[in-house]
Amino acid sequence: MKEGKTERKLIIDGKRMDGRGFEELRPLKIEVGVLKRADGSCYLELGDNKVIAAVYGPREMHPRHAQDAKMVVIKCRYNMAPFSVDDRKRPGPDRRSVEISKVSREALDPVIMKEYYPKMAIEVYVEVLQSDAGTRTAGINAASVALADAGIPMTDLVSSIAVGKIDGEVVLDLTGVEDNHGEADMPMAMIARTNTITALQMDGHLTKEEFKRGLKLAMGACHQIYELQRAALIGRYSKSEEREERKRE
Amino acid sequence: MYKVVVPGDFISEEVNRAGEGTYVEDGKVYAMSYGIVEEREEIKVVAFSRKYVPTNGDVVIGRIIEISFPYWIVDIASPYEARLHISNFAAGVEKVEFGSMSRYLDLDDFIVAKVMTVDVMMRIELTLMEEFKMRGGGKLVEIPHTKVPRVIGRSGSMIKMLKEKCNCFIFIAKNGRIWIKGSEADVNLASEVILKIVNEAHTSGLTDRVVNFLDSFRRDKGKGGEK
Amino acid sequence: MGLKIIDDIRKDYVCNLIRGGQRAEGRGFREYREISVDGDTIKRAEGSARVKIGDTEVLVGVKLDVGEPFSDTPDKGVIITNAELVPLASPEFESGPPNENSVQLARVVDRGIRGSEAIDLEKLCIEEGAKVWIVFLDIHILDDDGNLVDAAALGAIASLLNIRIPNERYGLTGENTLPMRETPVAVTMVEVEGNILVDPNFNEENAATSRLTVISNADGSLSGMQKSGSGGLKEEEIVEMVETGIEKAGEIREKYLSPL
Repeated sequence: MKEGKTERKLIIDGKRMDGRGFEELRPLKIEVGVLKRADGSCYLELGDNKVIAAVYGPREMHPRHAQDAKMVVIKCRYNMAPFSVDDRKRPGPDRRSVEISKVSREALDPVIMKEYYPKMAIEVYVEVLQSDAGTRTAGINAASVALADAGIPMTDLVSSIAVGKIDGEVVLDLTGVEDNHGEADMPMAMIARTNTITALQMDGHLTKEEFKRGLKLAMGACHQIYELQRAALIGRYSKSEEREERKRE
Repeated sequence: MYKVVVPGDFISEEVNRAGEGTYVEDGKVYAMSYGIVEEREEIKVVAFSRKYVPTNGDVVIGRIIEISFPYWIVDIASPYEARLHISNFAAGVEKVEFGSMSRYLDLDDFIVAKVMTVDVMMRIELTLMEEFKMRGGGKLVEIPHTKVPRVIGRSGSMIKMLKEKCNCFIFIAKNGRIWIKGSEADVNLASEVILKIVNEAHTSGLTDRVVNFLDSFRRDKGKGGEK
Repeated sequence: MGLKIIDDIRKDYVCNLIRGGQRAEGRGFREYREISVDGDTIKRAEGSARVKIGDTEVLVGVKLDVGEPFSDTPDKGVIITNAELVPLASPEFESGPPNENSVQLARVVDRGIRGSEAIDLEKLCIEEGAKVWIVFLDIHILDDDGNLVDAAALGAIASLLNIRIPNERYGLTGENTLPMRETPVAVTMVEVEGNILVDPNFNEENAATSRLTVISNADGSLSGMQKSGSGGLKEEEIVEMVETGIEKAGEIREKYLSPL
């Protein structure tokens, strides 16, 4: 249903179509430990995006010849549910999901302390249930929390967001409509503590100045996202502690 | 109150006290796991969940999953398999021959073993404990190995209390497998209490609650009129 | 020698409990785990539902597309049911083409809908012999703690109940809703140690040698059945399962589908 880059006002009176300012994130909701069978899991909503991430492992690496004798191998599979988009997506991997799987894996890889589980594999699965632009960033955010939930040794969490350009303005966190009619889209991922960028993609057209501004904007947003990821993880156990206390009373 | 941390959280500047579950960067100690900070001589982060990886000297309960002369391959509730060489089979009286291994230890047998070596390739060699055969029935429960210290309690307080109040033989292996022997009712009670400990491992005042639970259970039973 | 544990520790535990007349979480033999049905949860889908039965969780989405009818049914729409056992949902699932379990799951759900004629396929005809609606019913498993079939079948009907036909997208006019003529409900049971258990969880499924799914309609008629597993069932067991299945289906329809 892409209408192409037609003349369409995405910004009216300094506000975006959903009422957000240029530097404002969509509402972000994170839940930890939502799946029983997985070793770690996370459900995440970013605006109208709904994703689930699950982590399995460390477990035996198949095929065996792909084992690494010195460190654990990270596997990542990003997959879209057939009903997550307007035109039904044919089930199974396509070129886009193969690329996103790789980008997501490489975004997470730098924080995982791989020397702890030689010969094993850590498997990360991201399922997109409903999409509205920014699914890969939502997936990376969820996967990072799910990795922590699985008890994987890590130096940090990874946080991710996209910036883009609409109606000539650099804005944070594009919606599907903005992405379809916008001039540029730039998803990135970052380790908030050290401001280290672990993923960066761009398509469309940006000037150097716009790129610099966009990157700063995204980095600021990653700090916000990091706080929400951390709060979701911490909150999970303080909540159950409160429950226990209430039970005791 | 327990302090919960996530990977990358700053914990301390006392680099020489950095223990398990932490890493040091630029003179600071950070958490490398999602878990609880434990400060004794060392500062540790005890992960909420983590797969078991053996270290030398661990006593584990294993299951024979493959026989491949001269080794028994043993599942030790870890991503890594362990192996037991025939020369470490404590029978002593005769040589274990090719083709006769299953007479001593067969598939699906459970054993109590000690981790003898773990090499850089994560090859794990076991040796049998003196009382390696799990005789006399009973029940085996499996819990996350990270909760084993909670079930044992500080200097063994929890497990001692459990054994007394439940009137059971309880053997806890480092890999999270627990062998419980006793009357059926006692074994069931003990496993229920162990699950309670596991589920509430991160809360404070756990020992008191477990004692209360056991006492009230016994009282209820008493009311029902025990034979 | 020693202590032999069948397959794994959990299986033994399940069988022991059942011999003592009990079930995990104190559930009765004929009792379902807690069920929740959230209709219309996916904006991008033309119909959707998220179903939980205990820890088992399934998301079903319906997408509609315009396509050609089959030559032998030129005036009827087409339903295509597909199930994905994505590796996120269980340590046993692997990526790759559908395996026999996901094919069976999709086909059983499909059969229930077809058998009951829940959808009037003629209503899906746009232009006889040329253009009809293709209904893609996609079952996405999120967490497998047993009894995927009942969760998937319930999700399928719940998502069909909130379907919106996207006429505008294809420049068509017509009804935007699709009236349902029937609400088939699947009820799965297993036999363990001579007892019949409704809604087996993952451990119970593993401990059981045979499983029977009974799909029934509001009037108590049957619109599909499937036995799986390598064990045998006696006639009286099957009869009992069918009766139980119809009764349980009635309860589920009343409680979870009527509100939709």
